[in-house]
Amino acid sequence: MLKDFSLRINGRTYKVTAFEEEPLLWVIRERLRLTGTKFGCGMGICGACTVLLEGKAVRSCLLTVRDAVDKPIVTIEGVPSNHPLKRAWIEHQVPQCGYCQPGQLMEAYALLLENPRPTRQQIIERLSSHLCRCGTYGRILMAVEAASRGGKT
Amino acid sequence: MITRRELLRLGGFTLSVMLMPEGYKILKAGETPKGYAPNLWINLSRDNYLTVFVNKSEMGQGVYTGLPMLVAEELDFPWERVRVRPAPAGRPYVDPKMGIQLTGGSTSVKNMYEILRLAGASMREMLLSSASKKLNLPKEKLRAEGGYILTGERKYAYGEFSELARKEPLPSKPRLKEEREFIYIGKSPPRLDVPEKVEGKAVFGIDAFEEGMLYAVVERPPYFGAKPMKVETGEAKKVPGIVDVFTLSSGVAVCGESFWSCQKGRERLKVEWSESFVKGWEDKDFEKYFRQKLKERGEVVRVKGSPQSSFEKAPFKVEETYIQPYLYHATMEPMSCLAWVKKEECLVYAPTQSQTWVLETAKRISGLPESKIRVITTYLGGGFGRKANVEFVAEALEISKRLGKPVKLIYTREDDLKSGYFRPYSATLIRASADREGNINSLSFKIAVQPLLGGRASVEGVENIPYAIPNLHVERVDVELPVSFWFWRSVGSTHNAFSIERVIDRLAYEAKRDAVDIRLKLLKDNPVAYRVVQTAAEKAGWGSRPKRGEAMGIAYHFSFGSHACHVAEVSLDRKSGKVRVHRVVAVMDVGPLVVHPDLLVSQVESGVIMGLSMALKEEVRFKGGGVENTNFHTYPLLTMSEAPQIEVHILTSNRQMGGVGEPGLPPTAPAVANALLWGYGIKVNRLPMSPEYIKTLT
Repeated sequence: MLKDFSLRINGRTYKVTAFEEEPLLWVIRERLRLTGTKFGCGMGICGACTVLLEGKAVRSCLLTVRDAVDKPIVTIEGVPSNHPLKRAWIEHQVPQCGYCQPGQLMEAYALLLENPRPTRQQIIERLSSHLCRCGTYGRILMAVEAASRGGKT
Repeated sequence: MITRRELLRLGGFTLSVMLMPEGYKILKAGETPKGYAPNLWINLSRDNYLTVFVNKSEMGQGVYTGLPMLVAEELDFPWERVRVRPAPAGRPYVDPKMGIQLTGGSTSVKNMYEILRLAGASMREMLLSSASKKLNLPKEKLRAEGGYILTGERKYAYGEFSELARKEPLPSKPRLKEEREFIYIGKSPPRLDVPEKVEGKAVFGIDAFEEGMLYAVVERPPYFGAKPMKVETGEAKKVPGIVDVFTLSSGVAVCGESFWSCQKGRERLKVEWSESFVKGWEDKDFEKYFRQKLKERGEVVRVKGSPQSSFEKAPFKVEETYIQPYLYHATMEPMSCLAWVKKEECLVYAPTQSQTWVLETAKRISGLPESKIRVITTYLGGGFGRKANVEFVAEALEISKRLGKPVKLIYTREDDLKSGYFRPYSATLIRASADREGNINSLSFKIAVQPLLGGRASVEGVENIPYAIPNLHVERVDVELPVSFWFWRSVGSTHNAFSIERVIDRLAYEAKRDAVDIRLKLLKDNPVAYRVVQTAAEKAGWGSRPKRGEAMGIAYHFSFGSHACHVAEVSLDRKSGKVRVHRVVAVMDVGPLVVHPDLLVSQVESGVIMGLSMALKEEVRFKGGGVENTNFHTYPLLTMSEAPQIEVHILTSNRQMGGVGEPGLPPTAPAVANALLWGYGIKVNRLPMSPEYIKTLT
């Protein structure tokens, strides 16, 4: 059944009609057209759809729209351009095709919120739950390390 | 096509490049010869921005940076004022060497290098001429630098002369810069696509929208070679938002107002599929079939000397059969296309590597002429060859034509894996021998494979093998199966590099020769290749203990015009069978110069990771004649925790320019397998080197 929902994304409130059990991903992407959040697998494996829900990194393909009602959501579009992570991503020229990068960056964003100075091993453990077919892993790692040093690259 | 309105909006000064029967020609906008479609490639606006329309697809390899750089170099223009736009699809934008608009074969910079530099240089000369007239100063007193015309006392932005410059005649032979004058070539200006990719604003195929757009998913057969026979659509149509359900040649289309409606509708479909030759086939059936095929006579592609008798007489010999599986491209963006077939015109948004084939497909399905078809190339969320195939574009077009509405077709990951177009499966029988000194004196190579490009691509890397082996035999047995296959990054070299580089080390091992020495000996008449292998050995510290792993392996391969040699440092946990690669030293020679060193480095890093993923993990498996893997849990890719430290070293040599996107992949898998041989005595003869397989060898 289609129903009306209210979502709080990047500080804005959105009214949207969707199926109750519709994954949050498709609501964000296709109904609200915040397309920075990507579809990769639909099973929570690749991480391309990662967003922050109440400050935690979640796979938006595994949550339903109902799970997210009235809880603050942050997508890649909601991370300020001058955030150390975004700056480090540019500084290290991380993206190739770029498709997985919003998910990678959101995971790193959540990690730094929890732990502003993660060790290299902690970064690797955390980001290993994301896939990148272009193989930008080395540069992602460098960028997260740089950003965790307070944006000094 | 670039519309007239767009031309007017851009204003300023526009040069176009056009393919004429006699070759490429630089033209001024509006001076289009009769019978040619107008086109536009570079524009200098009044407010001093340079826009370059790129005829190649950006799939991560960096063409949206590498190609504009060539124009900006000769124009001598500030990088932060350079913009990039995808060129439209159409005859004027074809690749000069290929004759079609296609991004593939590691050729973009190589094929566009000269013409884009000439275009930039022409623009610069015309700006100088017009400035000389306007300022009433002799041209020799003026300089064009960094986006400004300098008189010695004052400076004027190029844009100020853009309207005047377009009235100047085209220089017949514009002066190109000398290498020492380069401001960009050989340096690494930041990628133009990176900021929008970091912001989540880059538009990929799956991100396209049109007002009133519908969605579609396609249910495909559970095994290859089948078509829908009987479809029950009643239940699916009851799902809220479902608009239509109908049969296509490739499957059953479920169309609705949202993607999720389509997914729900699809669950309620009942489809009966036709029979197929491979129905019921499992992995072992494929292996049996290909091994059987190896016994048949194939087409002999190359013979040199007398390989048979040299082999028989040789003191050292190896005979091996290598099995390499079908591989999935696994682009992170699954196939997706937005098509809108109207009565009078047709619109397609596609993440495509081949605009020409998209156009042809749109012409065929819409029945409209090329002039009524607009193809918008989006960013590609990975390509690796897969997105040069246009079956997903055809499906979107067919569905839109039937509904008369814009339709976005999305493949789920499961659809994408099931759809095929894999790197072909192969069985290779290889015989090689060495003389008493351990010098390789014969190589006989026979591959059973589904042929790509009439089989030419299937023997790449071995037909043109750079090793001086006096007795050589190359044979190909074409296999026909309904499993769809296609180009996969580095194509035939993905499997042939493995076979050749494996057998060379097996022989070296038997003859107790060093793996580097044995290669150098075979390459002594090829100084470029020789230096690549020698440099890789040096940089890796060949002969000493590995820095981080327990064993070292080396492999060299020539593909797409470039020489690449990788050394892998590997360790093995014998108990679990898990192979770990700690460090890869990669050396590549790409010819006379490197346009953008950091793009080259990132392409090699990318090739190593994809090559390693293929080496250790990837395999399309079969059940019931269809793909058994359904998603990334059953088709895993290499992750960050498994990624080695990668060191890339670039060499140049005075020869034809080589490619960059693909040659960095082939040597990785054999380098790892060779390390297992020397370090652990493990004789790998199939891929992937999964723990399950390695355990059977320890």
